[in-house]
Amino acid sequence: MPAPVEVGEIDIDDETVPDRPWIVLVWNDPINLMSYVTFVFQKVFGYSLEKATSLMLDVHEKGRAVVSSGAREKAEIDVFRLHEHGLWATMQQDD
Amino acid sequence: MARKRSFIPPIERVRDGFAFNIGEDERQLVSRLLTELSQLLMGESDDPRLVRIFPPAYHLADDADADAEYQRLMREELVASRLSGITTVTEALRAPGPVGEETMIAFVQAINGLRLVLGTMLDVSEDHDPDDIDADDPLVGEHHLYNFLSWLLDWAVRALGEPVS
Repeated sequence: MPAPVEVGEIDIDDETVPDRPWIVLVWNDPINLMSYVTFVFQKVFGYSLEKATSLMLDVHEKGRAVVSSGAREKAEIDVFRLHEHGLWATMQQDD
Repeated sequence: MARKRSFIPPIERVRDGFAFNIGEDERQLVSRLLTELSQLLMGESDDPRLVRIFPPAYHLADDADADAEYQRLMREELVASRLSGITTVTEALRAPGPVGEETMIAFVQAINGLRLVLGTMLDVSEDHDPDDIDADDPLVGEHHLYNFLSWLLDWAVRALGEPVS
């Protein structure tokens, strides 16, 4: 009787699953000025004043807001640019 | 005839850039604080005053390894970026003329960096009242500096948002 052929398990690295984008969050903090946060959203993402203001208010009122999303590498660059401006930004893979 | 202005903002957009309408004392104060921030950035990376300068990138516990990797790769870049911005600003503050938009953006980043460090030292919370300063607080000077920098930053952001005339 032949030995069963061993089928190696397919290693699914969920970091490479393309259909789950990464989201970039900005968290409310007591130090950053509202005007400054709005300015940073406009500058880093090119958002309009209206969109940047609405995101800033979300951060302020709801404690956090998703400010961008996409591939992991892009999210990491966004997080870095927000850190360069002193914002409390983090990322996670979307549920 | 130009209308006489009763109030001149500390920073404003002018025809060829942005003007600092602040005195020599204030320029020197800001430069000195920024030099101190540079020294702090070049010192121990786990200094508790720097906690807001280097936030985590990955906040989920499952991503702890990814965050360690991010900190290993990006922290140095973040320090380099901050130091280069501070140099741009301290040089600009030594010259009397207006500065360009890139310098003004470096200025808001640098001033905000100072506020993050001072705010961390002062343990600024959500219900922070800038006017409520206890004269016996040993950090009373830091409270005043924090308020001064908030005021300056707010005007700088306002100037950046003004349309070019």
